[in-house]
Amino acid sequence: MKRGWWAVFVGLALLAPAARAGTITILGGVFGGMSFPVLQDDQGQGSLFGARAPVRLLPLLAVEPFYSTSALGDKTIESSPGFEVTREGSDVTTYGVNVMLPFGTKTLLYPYAGIGSAHFERNGQDESFTSYNLGLGLGFTVMPKFALDVRGELQAASSGETSRKMFNVTLGASYSIFSTP
Amino acid sequence: MNTLRRAVPLLALAALAAAGCMLTSGQFVATYNLPDPFDVSSLAFAGTSVDLNTISEYEDHKDELKRVEDLALVGNFTNRTSTAAQIEVWIVPDGSLTTLTAQQVQANGTRLWGPLAVAGNSTEKVDWDRSSALFVGRQALIDEVKGDGHFALYVIANGAFSVRVTEGTLIVVVGAAI
Repeated sequence: MKRGWWAVFVGLALLAPAARAGTITILGGVFGGMSFPVLQDDQGQGSLFGARAPVRLLPLLAVEPFYSTSALGDKTIESSPGFEVTREGSDVTTYGVNVMLPFGTKTLLYPYAGIGSAHFERNGQDESFTSYNLGLGLGFTVMPKFALDVRGELQAASSGETSRKMFNVTLGASYSIFSTP
Repeated sequence: MNTLRRAVPLLALAALAAAGCMLTSGQFVATYNLPDPFDVSSLAFAGTSVDLNTISEYEDHKDELKRVEDLALVGNFTNRTSTAAQIEVWIVPDGSLTTLTAQQVQANGTRLWGPLAVAGNSTEKVDWDRSSALFVGRQALIDEVKGDGHFALYVIANGAFSVRVTEGTLIVVVGAAI
Protein backbone atom coordinates (compact mmCIF):
# COMPACT_ATOMS: atom_id res chain seq x y z
CA MET A 1 0.00 0.00 0.00
CA LYS A 2 2.77 2.44 0.96
CA ARG A 3 4.55 1.78 -2.35
CA GLY A 4 1.37 2.72 -4.20
CA TRP A 5 1.10 6.05 -2.43
CA TRP A 6 4.79 6.77 -3.01
CA ALA A 7 4.20 6.19 -6.72
CA VAL A 8 1.35 8.72 -6.67
CA PHE A 9 3.40 11.33 -4.82
CA VAL A 10 6.44 10.87 -7.06
CA GLY A 11 4.23 11.08 -10.13
CA LEU A 12 2.64 14.32 -8.93
CA ALA A 13 6.06 15.79 -8.12
CA LEU A 14 7.33 14.97 -11.60
CA LEU A 15 4.26 16.48 -13.23
CA ALA A 16 4.34 19.71 -11.26
CA PRO A 17 7.02 21.45 -13.41
CA ALA A 18 5.13 20.56 -16.57
CA ALA A 19 1.99 22.01 -15.13
CA ARG A 20 3.60 25.40 -14.59
CA ALA A 21 3.54 26.04 -18.31
CA GLY A 22 -0.21 25.69 -18.74
CA THR A 23 -3.54 26.58 -17.20
CA ILE A 24 -4.49 24.69 -14.08
CA THR A 25 -8.17 24.16 -13.37
CA ILE A 26 -9.54 22.74 -10.14
CA LEU A 27 -13.07 21.40 -10.01
CA GLY A 28 -15.19 20.11 -7.19
CA GLY A 29 -17.76 17.43 -7.86
CA VAL A 30 -20.16 14.88 -6.49
CA PHE A 31 -21.38 11.64 -7.99
CA GLY A 32 -23.73 8.78 -7.37
CA GLY A 33 -24.59 5.50 -9.00
CA MET A 34 -24.57 1.76 -8.64
CA SER A 35 -21.91 -0.75 -7.70
CA PHE A 36 -22.21 -4.25 -9.15
CA PRO A 37 -20.08 -7.00 -7.52
CA VAL A 38 -18.21 -9.15 -10.03
CA LEU A 39 -17.60 -12.83 -9.21
CA GLN A 40 -18.66 -12.33 -5.59
CA ASP A 41 -21.16 -14.96 -4.41
CA ASP A 42 -21.63 -13.22 -1.05
CA GLN A 43 -22.48 -9.64 -2.07
CA GLY A 44 -25.32 -8.03 -3.96
CA GLN A 45 -25.44 -4.81 -5.95
CA GLY A 46 -25.79 -1.55 -4.09
CA SER A 47 -25.69 2.22 -4.22
CA LEU A 48 -22.55 4.33 -4.53
CA PHE A 49 -21.95 7.99 -3.64
CA GLY A 50 -18.91 10.17 -3.41
CA ALA A 51 -17.00 13.36 -4.03
CA ARG A 52 -13.99 14.18 -6.17
CA ALA A 53 -11.78 17.10 -7.11
CA PRO A 54 -10.36 16.85 -10.63
CA VAL A 55 -7.28 19.00 -11.14
CA ARG A 56 -6.55 19.67 -14.80
CA LEU A 57 -2.79 20.15 -14.99
CA LEU A 58 -2.46 20.12 -18.76
CA PRO A 59 -4.94 20.03 -21.63
CA LEU A 60 -4.51 16.28 -21.82
CA LEU A 61 -3.77 15.40 -18.23
CA ALA A 62 -5.71 15.59 -14.98
CA VAL A 63 -5.36 14.07 -11.54
CA GLU A 64 -8.33 13.52 -9.29
CA PRO A 65 -8.44 12.78 -5.57
CA PHE A 66 -11.70 11.04 -4.74
CA TYR A 67 -13.71 9.59 -1.88
CA SER A 68 -16.64 7.22 -2.22
CA THR A 69 -18.90 5.13 -0.07
CA SER A 70 -21.07 2.26 -1.22
CA ALA A 71 -23.57 0.00 0.49
CA LEU A 72 -23.44 -3.34 -1.25
CA GLY A 73 -26.65 -5.34 -1.19
CA ASP A 74 -27.60 -8.42 0.82
CA LYS A 75 -27.15 -11.86 -0.69
CA THR A 76 -29.47 -14.77 0.02
CA ILE A 77 -28.49 -18.38 -0.59
CA GLU A 78 -30.31 -21.64 0.02
CA SER A 79 -28.06 -23.30 2.60
CA SER A 80 -30.15 -26.47 2.70
CA PRO A 81 -33.31 -27.42 0.81
CA GLY A 82 -36.04 -25.00 1.85
CA PHE A 83 -33.78 -23.08 4.26
CA GLU A 84 -32.48 -19.71 3.11
CA VAL A 85 -29.91 -17.55 4.82
CA THR A 86 -29.01 -13.97 4.03
CA ARG A 87 -25.64 -12.29 4.32
CA GLU A 88 -25.67 -8.53 4.66
CA GLY A 89 -23.66 -6.62 2.06
CA SER A 90 -20.51 -4.78 3.02
CA ASP A 91 -20.26 -1.05 3.49
CA VAL A 92 -17.30 -0.05 1.34
CA THR A 93 -15.38 3.19 1.81
CA THR A 94 -12.78 4.04 -0.83
CA TYR A 95 -10.41 6.95 -1.23
CA GLY A 96 -7.59 7.45 -3.67
CA VAL A 97 -6.32 9.30 -6.72
CA ASN A 98 -7.16 8.89 -10.40
CA VAL A 99 -4.96 9.92 -13.31
CA MET A 100 -7.01 10.88 -16.35
CA LEU A 101 -6.36 11.60 -20.02
CA PRO A 102 -9.12 13.92 -21.23
CA PHE A 103 -9.78 14.21 -24.96
CA GLY A 104 -12.01 16.94 -26.35
CA THR A 105 -13.21 20.36 -25.21
CA LYS A 106 -16.90 20.79 -24.40
CA THR A 107 -17.48 17.08 -24.62
CA LEU A 108 -14.71 15.10 -22.98
CA LEU A 109 -13.84 11.46 -23.30
CA TYR A 110 -11.37 10.36 -20.69
CA PRO A 111 -9.88 6.99 -19.86
CA TYR A 112 -8.48 6.88 -16.35
CA ALA A 113 -6.72 4.68 -13.85
CA GLY A 114 -6.38 5.07 -10.12
CA ILE A 115 -5.10 3.67 -6.87
CA GLY A 116 -6.35 4.00 -3.33
CA SER A 117 -7.56 2.22 -0.25
CA ALA A 118 -10.88 0.39 0.17
CA HIS A 119 -12.33 -0.52 3.55
CA PHE A 120 -15.00 -3.27 3.77
CA GLU A 121 -17.15 -3.50 6.89
CA ARG A 122 -20.01 -5.75 7.98
CA ASN A 123 -20.70 -8.27 10.78
CA GLY A 124 -17.55 -10.40 11.01
CA GLN A 125 -15.66 -8.35 8.40
CA ASP A 126 -13.48 -5.30 9.01
CA GLU A 127 -10.78 -5.25 6.34
CA SER A 128 -8.80 -2.78 4.27
CA PHE A 129 -7.46 -3.47 0.79
CA THR A 130 -5.40 -1.71 -1.83
CA SER A 131 -7.88 -0.56 -4.45
CA TYR A 132 -7.16 -0.27 -8.16
CA ASN A 133 -9.59 1.12 -10.67
CA LEU A 134 -9.69 1.46 -14.39
CA GLY A 135 -12.45 3.28 -16.22
CA LEU A 136 -13.82 5.42 -18.97
CA GLY A 137 -15.73 8.67 -18.54
CA LEU A 138 -17.74 10.97 -20.76
CA GLY A 139 -18.14 14.60 -19.69
CA PHE A 140 -20.36 17.39 -20.98
CA THR A 141 -19.99 21.09 -20.25
CA VAL A 142 -23.61 22.15 -19.89
CA MET A 143 -22.88 25.76 -18.94
CA PRO A 144 -19.75 27.78 -18.13
CA LYS A 145 -17.91 26.19 -15.19
CA PHE A 146 -20.49 23.42 -14.81
CA ALA A 147 -20.21 19.93 -16.24
CA LEU A 148 -21.95 16.58 -16.02
CA ASP A 149 -20.31 13.23 -16.52
CA VAL A 150 -21.09 9.56 -16.75
CA ARG A 151 -18.49 6.94 -15.92
CA GLY A 152 -18.00 3.20 -15.91
CA GLU A 153 -15.12 1.63 -14.06
CA LEU A 154 -13.84 -1.68 -12.79
CA GLN A 155 -12.66 -1.50 -9.18
CA ALA A 156 -10.51 -4.27 -7.74
CA ALA A 157 -9.87 -4.29 -3.99
CA SER A 158 -6.84 -6.51 -3.66
CA SER A 159 -5.74 -8.58 -0.68
CA GLY A 160 -2.55 -9.44 -2.55
CA GLU A 161 -3.73 -12.92 -3.51
CA THR A 162 -7.31 -12.30 -4.53
CA SER A 163 -9.50 -9.28 -5.02
CA ARG A 164 -13.08 -8.21 -4.58
CA LYS A 165 -14.16 -6.64 -7.84
CA MET A 166 -16.97 -4.23 -8.54
CA PHE A 167 -18.21 -2.62 -11.72
CA ASN A 168 -19.26 0.91 -10.84
CA VAL A 169 -21.51 3.11 -12.95
CA THR A 170 -21.88 6.72 -11.84
CA LEU A 171 -23.43 10.00 -12.86
CA GLY A 172 -21.66 13.11 -11.61
CA ALA A 173 -21.69 16.88 -11.59
CA SER A 174 -18.71 19.17 -11.17
CA TYR A 175 -18.07 22.89 -10.86
CA SER A 176 -14.91 24.79 -11.69
CA ILE A 177 -13.82 26.45 -8.45
CA PHE A 178 -10.37 27.70 -9.41
CA SER A 179 -8.43 28.38 -12.58
CA THR A 180 -5.07 30.00 -13.24
CA PRO A 181 -4.98 32.58 -16.02
CA MET B 1 3.00 15.58 -24.33
CA ASN B 2 3.16 12.21 -26.05
CA THR B 3 5.00 10.87 -23.04
CA LEU B 4 2.25 12.11 -20.78
CA ARG B 5 -0.43 10.63 -23.02
CA ARG B 6 1.17 7.28 -22.50
CA ALA B 7 1.11 7.77 -18.75
CA VAL B 8 -2.40 6.52 -18.08
CA PRO B 9 -2.15 3.30 -20.12
CA LEU B 10 1.25 2.61 -18.56
CA LEU B 11 -0.13 3.30 -15.10
CA ALA B 12 -3.02 0.97 -15.82
CA LEU B 13 -0.69 -1.77 -17.03
CA ALA B 14 1.55 -1.28 -13.99
CA ALA B 15 -1.48 -1.56 -11.72
CA LEU B 16 -2.58 -4.75 -13.46
CA ALA B 17 0.92 -6.19 -13.21
CA ALA B 18 1.13 -5.27 -9.53
CA ALA B 19 -2.21 -6.92 -8.98
CA GLY B 20 -0.95 -10.22 -10.38
CA CYS B 21 -3.70 -12.73 -10.81
CA MET B 22 -6.18 -10.79 -8.72
CA LEU B 23 -8.34 -9.92 -11.70
CA THR B 24 -8.92 -13.59 -12.41
CA SER B 25 -10.12 -14.44 -8.93
CA GLY B 26 -13.49 -14.47 -7.24
CA GLN B 27 -15.40 -15.24 -4.04
CA PHE B 28 -17.25 -18.55 -4.09
CA VAL B 29 -19.69 -19.91 -1.51
CA ALA B 30 -19.35 -23.55 -0.45
CA THR B 31 -22.00 -25.03 1.85
CA TYR B 32 -21.74 -28.27 3.83
CA ASN B 33 -24.91 -29.66 5.36
CA LEU B 34 -24.62 -31.26 8.80
CA PRO B 35 -26.68 -34.38 9.58
CA ASP B 36 -30.31 -33.31 9.90
CA PRO B 37 -31.27 -33.57 12.66
CA PHE B 38 -27.95 -33.61 14.50
CA ASP B 39 -28.73 -34.73 18.06
CA VAL B 40 -26.16 -34.47 20.80
CA SER B 41 -26.50 -34.96 24.53
CA SER B 42 -24.23 -35.40 27.49
CA LEU B 43 -25.37 -39.04 27.62
CA ALA B 44 -24.97 -39.71 23.87
CA PHE B 45 -22.02 -37.53 23.00
CA ALA B 46 -20.58 -37.71 19.47
CA GLY B 47 -19.14 -35.52 16.77
CA THR B 48 -19.73 -35.41 13.06
CA SER B 49 -17.14 -35.83 10.37
CA VAL B 50 -16.98 -32.98 7.86
CA ASP B 51 -15.31 -33.60 4.51
CA LEU B 52 -15.43 -30.48 2.37
CA ASN B 53 -14.01 -32.47 -0.55
CA THR B 54 -17.47 -33.95 -1.04
CA ILE B 55 -18.91 -30.60 -2.17
CA SER B 56 -18.27 -29.44 -5.71
CA GLU B 57 -17.80 -25.72 -4.97
CA TYR B 58 -14.86 -26.56 -2.69
CA GLU B 59 -13.45 -29.32 -4.87
CA ASP B 60 -13.62 -27.06 -7.96
CA HIS B 61 -11.59 -24.28 -6.34
CA LYS B 62 -9.42 -26.16 -3.85
CA ASP B 63 -6.28 -26.13 -5.99
CA GLU B 64 -6.56 -22.40 -6.63
CA LEU B 65 -7.75 -21.48 -3.15
CA LYS B 66 -5.97 -18.34 -1.97
CA ARG B 67 -7.98 -17.04 0.93
CA VAL B 68 -10.89 -17.85 3.23
CA GLU B 69 -13.09 -14.76 3.02
CA ASP B 70 -15.98 -15.62 5.32
CA LEU B 71 -17.29 -18.39 7.58
CA ALA B 72 -20.66 -19.18 9.10
CA LEU B 73 -22.47 -22.00 10.88
CA VAL B 74 -26.21 -21.56 10.45
CA GLY B 75 -29.24 -23.54 11.54
CA ASN B 76 -31.80 -24.04 14.28
CA PHE B 77 -30.35 -24.86 17.69
CA THR B 78 -32.88 -26.45 20.08
CA ASN B 79 -32.26 -26.89 23.78
CA ARG B 80 -34.23 -29.99 24.75
CA THR B 81 -33.82 -29.59 28.49
CA SER B 82 -35.61 -27.22 30.87
CA THR B 83 -32.43 -25.41 31.92
CA ALA B 84 -30.71 -22.72 29.87
CA ALA B 85 -27.81 -23.92 27.74
CA GLN B 86 -24.64 -22.28 26.50
CA ILE B 87 -23.99 -24.07 23.22
CA GLU B 88 -20.52 -24.23 21.69
CA VAL B 89 -19.09 -25.90 18.60
CA TRP B 90 -15.60 -27.35 18.74
CA ILE B 91 -13.33 -28.47 15.91
CA VAL B 92 -10.92 -31.43 15.91
CA PRO B 93 -8.48 -31.53 12.97
CA ASP B 94 -8.68 -35.32 12.51
CA GLY B 95 -11.97 -35.96 10.74
CA SER B 96 -12.04 -39.60 11.79
CA LEU B 97 -12.19 -38.76 15.51
CA THR B 98 -15.94 -38.57 16.05
CA THR B 99 -16.21 -40.63 19.23
CA LEU B 100 -14.18 -38.53 21.66
CA THR B 101 -15.52 -37.56 25.05
CA ALA B 102 -16.28 -33.92 25.81
CA GLN B 103 -13.13 -33.74 27.92
CA GLN B 104 -11.03 -35.17 25.08
CA VAL B 105 -12.52 -32.70 22.62
CA GLN B 106 -11.69 -29.79 24.90
CA ALA B 107 -8.17 -31.15 25.40
CA ASN B 108 -7.41 -31.84 21.72
CA GLY B 109 -9.65 -29.47 19.81
CA THR B 110 -10.34 -25.77 19.44
CA ARG B 111 -13.47 -23.91 20.36
CA LEU B 112 -14.74 -22.75 16.99
CA TRP B 113 -18.01 -21.03 17.68
CA GLY B 114 -20.18 -19.84 20.55
CA PRO B 115 -21.33 -19.72 23.22
CA LEU B 116 -24.89 -19.39 21.98
CA ALA B 117 -27.34 -18.90 24.83
CA VAL B 118 -30.56 -20.91 24.38
CA ALA B 119 -33.31 -20.85 27.00
CA GLY B 120 -34.79 -24.11 28.27
CA ASN B 121 -37.02 -25.98 25.82
CA SER B 122 -36.58 -23.36 23.11
CA THR B 123 -34.98 -22.91 19.71
CA GLU B 124 -32.65 -20.23 18.42
CA LYS B 125 -32.44 -19.70 14.68
CA VAL B 126 -28.93 -18.59 13.80
CA ASP B 127 -28.55 -16.82 10.48
CA TRP B 128 -25.41 -15.89 8.57
CA ASP B 129 -24.81 -12.47 10.12
CA ARG B 130 -25.40 -13.65 13.69
CA SER B 131 -23.21 -16.68 13.13
CA SER B 132 -20.28 -14.63 11.87
CA ALA B 133 -20.20 -12.76 15.16
CA LEU B 134 -20.10 -16.04 17.13
CA PHE B 135 -16.86 -17.34 15.59
CA VAL B 136 -14.00 -17.41 18.07
CA GLY B 137 -11.70 -20.00 16.48
CA ARG B 138 -11.76 -18.70 12.95
CA GLN B 139 -8.11 -19.54 12.27
CA ALA B 140 -8.57 -23.22 13.19
CA LEU B 141 -11.25 -23.60 10.54
CA ILE B 142 -9.29 -21.56 8.00
CA ASP B 143 -6.35 -23.94 8.52
CA GLU B 144 -8.61 -26.90 7.80
CA VAL B 145 -10.21 -25.29 4.75
CA LYS B 146 -6.76 -24.53 3.35
CA GLY B 147 -5.52 -27.95 4.46
CA ASP B 148 -7.11 -31.32 3.71
CA GLY B 149 -10.68 -30.05 4.19
CA HIS B 150 -11.49 -32.99 6.49
CA PHE B 151 -12.19 -32.44 10.19
CA ALA B 152 -14.67 -33.23 12.97
CA LEU B 153 -17.20 -30.91 14.59
CA TYR B 154 -18.63 -31.37 18.08
CA VAL B 155 -21.54 -29.60 19.74
CA ILE B 156 -21.01 -29.13 23.48
CA ALA B 157 -23.14 -27.41 26.10
CA ASN B 158 -22.89 -26.85 29.80
CA GLY B 159 -24.03 -29.37 32.43
CA ALA B 160 -26.37 -32.18 31.49
CA PHE B 161 -27.48 -31.12 28.04
CA SER B 162 -29.50 -32.28 25.09
CA VAL B 163 -29.26 -30.26 21.89
CA ARG B 164 -30.81 -30.79 18.47
CA VAL B 165 -29.44 -28.97 15.44
CA THR B 166 -31.68 -28.87 12.38
CA GLU B 167 -30.93 -27.44 8.96
CA GLY B 168 -27.37 -27.00 10.18
CA THR B 169 -24.98 -25.81 7.49
CA LEU B 170 -21.36 -24.79 7.47
CA ILE B 171 -20.82 -21.94 5.02
CA VAL B 172 -17.34 -21.14 3.73
CA VAL B 173 -16.62 -18.31 1.30
CA VAL B 174 -13.32 -18.94 -0.43
CA GLY B 175 -11.28 -16.53 -2.49
CA ALA B 176 -9.86 -18.47 -5.40
CA ALA B 177 -8.39 -18.01 -8.85
CA ILE B 178 -10.58 -19.01 -11.77
